[in-house]
Amino acid sequence: MKLSSKEQAGVVILEPKGKIMGGPDASLLHDKLHECIDSSQNQIIIDLAQVDWMNSTGLGILISSYTTLRNNGGHLKLANVTDKIKSLLTITKLVSVFEAFDSVDEAVASFK
Amino acid sequence: MDKPVITGNTIAIPSDVEHLADVDLFIEGILRGWEVDESRIADIAISVSELVNNAICHGNKSTRDKKVSATIDREGSLVVINVTDEGTGFSPENIENPIADDNLMKEVGRGIFIVQSLMDSVDFELTSTGSKVTIKKDI
Repeated sequence: MKLSSKEQAGVVILEPKGKIMGGPDASLLHDKLHECIDSSQNQIIIDLAQVDWMNSTGLGILISSYTTLRNNGGHLKLANVTDKIKSLLTITKLVSVFEAFDSVDEAVASFK
Repeated sequence: MDKPVITGNTIAIPSDVEHLADVDLFIEGILRGWEVDESRIADIAISVSELVNNAICHGNKSTRDKKVSATIDREGSLVVINVTDEGTGFSPENIENPIADDNLMKEVGRGIFIVQSLMDSVDFELTSTGSKVTIKKDI
């Protein structure tokens, strides 16, 4: 997995690319999310457009970040959730937890 | 063993999550060779990653010199994959329901549930050398 990030209207947008399955790739996303949280950047969007799939390790990272952000007055939102990941969120009932948007722009606008 | 070893349709890796990607590459490569559609490849790859991750972390307790193996075969229209470790096995019936309200926000504990949801069958077996999980998926 590769990971890039950018900022739009004060919101951090993380753009993972590839597969989130555990091991070094999962650590990369986990560490970046917690780096943002530690530096008080607590409005975060994960753009999943280029993520082929994730497994339970990836879901665990999303939950950990969601909970930590919420406890610090922040929010984690998802954008461009692919069908495969949407299916995984539905199976695990996490679809009821995460706010998901069809585009990054819509997700950013939701913070206003 | 200190690096992945491929023998025919089997890959064996040291018990280190850094090798998850090696197993994925191997399994997805074979499935593409069989012209399996991408959605099913993803379902199988997710399931194998869950089982190999469990075998490394829970079965072999991340002891590098213990190996995890994944073998892939075809039985007619079924893909059959065995994942083995050198651990003492576990009881799947003891796994908590990850979609119960009390467990929904737990960071771990969804792996086997996901595998059971994505695959047509999942069987657990304790062998003389460790544990073995067999998954099957109609392609």
